[in-house]
Amino acid sequence: MATEESPQVTRRATRSYSASNTAIESTNLPESYKPTINDLGFRQQPLRLEDLLSSFPGRRSQILELLRLLGPLNSPMFPILVYGGPSTGKTSVTLQVFRHLNRPFIYSSCITCYSPRILFESILNQLLFHRKDSGHSYSSVKRCERPSDFVNYLREALENVLTNLKGNSGKVSSKMSGRPDGTMVYLVFDNLERIRDWDKSSTILPFLFNLNDILKMPEVGLIFISNTSPDTYYLNIGYVEPIPLYFPDYTEDDLRHIFMANQTNSRLYASFLDVVLRPFCRVTRQVDELAAAFSSLFKKYSEPLSDKEVAPNEEMKRRLFSHIRPHIASALNETFQVRSQPLLKAETNEETKKTNSSRMLGIREDFDKIDFHMSTSAKYLLISAFLASRNPATLDASLFDSTGVSDSRKRKRKASEKSMDQKEMAEQELLMKGPGTFPLERLLAIFQCITSLAEDSLDEEESHELTVEGGSRGLMSDVLLQLSSLCNANFIIKGGSCPLEGSTRYRTAVSEDLALKVARSLKFPLSKYLYRR
Amino acid sequence: MGREKEKEKLSEKALNLLRSRLSDPNFIFRPLSDSPDSNYSKLKFIISTSVTEACNNSILLLGPRGSGKVAVLELVLSDLLQQYPEAISVIRLNGLLHSDDNCALKEIARQLCMEHQLLFSKVASFDDNSQFMIAMLRECGLAHKTIIFVLDEFDFFAQGKQRLLYSLLDAMQSVNSQAVVIGVSCRLKLLSDERFKELIDTYLSFNFTIGHLVRFLFQAVSYMDLSAGFLSLGNFKTALSSNQRQPKLECIRDCSVLELYMMVCMKRLEVKEQASYNFYSVMTEYKSIHDSFQTSDYYAANVCLRAFEHLLQCQLISFIDNKGHNQSVEFRPVKLLISSAELHQGLKSYQQCPAILLKLMDR
Repeated sequence: MATEESPQVTRRATRSYSASNTAIESTNLPESYKPTINDLGFRQQPLRLEDLLSSFPGRRSQILELLRLLGPLNSPMFPILVYGGPSTGKTSVTLQVFRHLNRPFIYSSCITCYSPRILFESILNQLLFHRKDSGHSYSSVKRCERPSDFVNYLREALENVLTNLKGNSGKVSSKMSGRPDGTMVYLVFDNLERIRDWDKSSTILPFLFNLNDILKMPEVGLIFISNTSPDTYYLNIGYVEPIPLYFPDYTEDDLRHIFMANQTNSRLYASFLDVVLRPFCRVTRQVDELAAAFSSLFKKYSEPLSDKEVAPNEEMKRRLFSHIRPHIASALNETFQVRSQPLLKAETNEETKKTNSSRMLGIREDFDKIDFHMSTSAKYLLISAFLASRNPATLDASLFDSTGVSDSRKRKRKASEKSMDQKEMAEQELLMKGPGTFPLERLLAIFQCITSLAEDSLDEEESHELTVEGGSRGLMSDVLLQLSSLCNANFIIKGGSCPLEGSTRYRTAVSEDLALKVARSLKFPLSKYLYRR
Repeated sequence: MGREKEKEKLSEKALNLLRSRLSDPNFIFRPLSDSPDSNYSKLKFIISTSVTEACNNSILLLGPRGSGKVAVLELVLSDLLQQYPEAISVIRLNGLLHSDDNCALKEIARQLCMEHQLLFSKVASFDDNSQFMIAMLRECGLAHKTIIFVLDEFDFFAQGKQRLLYSLLDAMQSVNSQAVVIGVSCRLKLLSDERFKELIDTYLSFNFTIGHLVRFLFQAVSYMDLSAGFLSLGNFKTALSSNQRQPKLECIRDCSVLELYMMVCMKRLEVKEQASYNFYSVMTEYKSIHDSFQTSDYYAANVCLRAFEHLLQCQLISFIDNKGHNQSVEFRPVKLLISSAELHQGLKSYQQCPAILLKLMDR
């Protein structure tokens, strides 16, 4: 879109206003791209079989089986269901196989097409060579919501495409003209398991699995890709199952091949993998999770080396191993986190401390800080929500009396065995039930108590960082906005409303660790207010 | 070299031929239809008598999926269309698509228009469409033309208020029409419904499933080695083994060691007869195992939570109820979806399974 602003606009213009103005004025709108039949094939360099097999280590038998099930050119096929765990290469293998075969296919993913209407329209758009652009205000070529309409439109569109392909097949060899081969069209449905969560899943799933029988067109091939195995699709109408093609998780050797590809210093990385691969494989074998963990760990591994290109000998390997060993244990416990501050920063702060244990401590201190930003009132709101969920409502009066701080510890009683058992059972019950719900009024009451407390203590310290808006009246309007942001961020869950009481109830969704971290950042004594049975 | 290519081309042609024949239901069922006792001949007899004698009729075809009901029906219809070209018109409806009677009438009107070369309007209302259908039935009745309604996935039409069925059968009764309604279904419990016994004049049952056999043959055929050009016993064996998967065992083989630990913890909780357990109770059990046996595999809570979610995704465990959407994942009660025998078998076949897990399972 043109970005020049017309100089005559003197009043304040919103972005859309000035954009629409310039669109009318400028005469050289960018030409929208019109897809053609060649777009049904992969428009990149064709791929030979050896390259295909070598770019997917550990997937040789799956690739060959997929090629066999698809069959030679123009031969009809039964529907196939490709399934396996996440990041096992199902989608990429399928797409690269189509690139190698150079056959026309339509790809749609049930993540981006999150409702039946969007799914149907996306497929029709691709078949009818329609691209959504500003000229048509981003609309699809046909409005299609119901499966019955979809089948009719699909039949028409497929017949058009097939006559087009048949006409082309008599002409020049397609390798030179970039046209896809053959007279069959393949429909690829990715992320099929997402359909189970749709509202209309009970009609859409049987419809898709029976699409082959409904269409009765042998020139159409169906391929489904799913994260879960076929028996998780419980359909009570029954259907002849598609042919399953299983992608197992990678073995350790395959993972080694995958991670070794595209490494600049392969000897160094190989010695790194020797150290870390086995312990991490006990936790997870998914490539995406391991890759995130390994990238930061490798930086730390190659830290002491001044020259990153050198191939390590045995002695260097041993030194590097002893350097990295304490970090492996901590990294294992952080395997699934993508940290916003790199681990290295913690290291540079603690370089003065030499011993292993204090280095560990330094890392743990970094864990104690929250690594995202929240405004002060949001933090107080979060703490009040946590307290409201954890403490029973009857305690509020005693905890938050007019003097503010109160001692919640019970008088020490001699701990008898019966009370210990009861305590254990009560703890277990608490674990099972989870945090309790609270109405909005209680949350606001606790919030007011806490913030008035904070104001008093801050006034005493005369701190300059007071960001709480002056006066509780100023806080009120902001609080409701903050509450809805916290709900959207899943820190607080909004439950259904009770028809008798009429107000919605909320529930906290943060763990005690996070609440403690937030409280520590505010220097708020959270543990004094927590009710311990 | 040239001979190799020649041979491959020929075997490719043979493979193509086999595959297209196996995927074409008409080809498969035609030879089975020759005997006079078969469903094919019975069906043909019934429909042709309704056509020649100008009467209404209704038929229900029942049988498991893949037993060839629609295939045989299509064979009969194509034969009859050849025999009586002007006297039959076929309307095809599918319960998966057209169970809503609005959709169904629209589709009926559309097919009638296509057949008789009339203009079809997409914005016609429900009343317009139903009046059109009644008018067409009357006209066809006067012209001695039989309309055959094929209702595939009949059980979808038969559930709920059955509006379409009533309006269709009503229309058939009210005007002078010649119509045959053929329902095709794979749900056998329709037989127990009394209304259908009155409504349907005949039913034919199909008992054998060819569909699964054909699928197995298709797989075996596709494994054919193109350079040899012949099918071998190995092809059939591989196809058989791929049909005899055990999905839960596959999932267990894909799990990491931590996930196995969690499943064993849940099994122990079940053995202790704890009624329901959630993530935190599993974690307490995990901690107690670590304390008593000093295993090396002790990981923090967030790592275990991720392993827990992975188990949920594989459907090895699942939530007990679906209503707890306002509780976070850690607190919702879960249950194991595999039996202890399967878990035991999975552990035994797992490479490098920690011995401690097997010991715990044996207790």
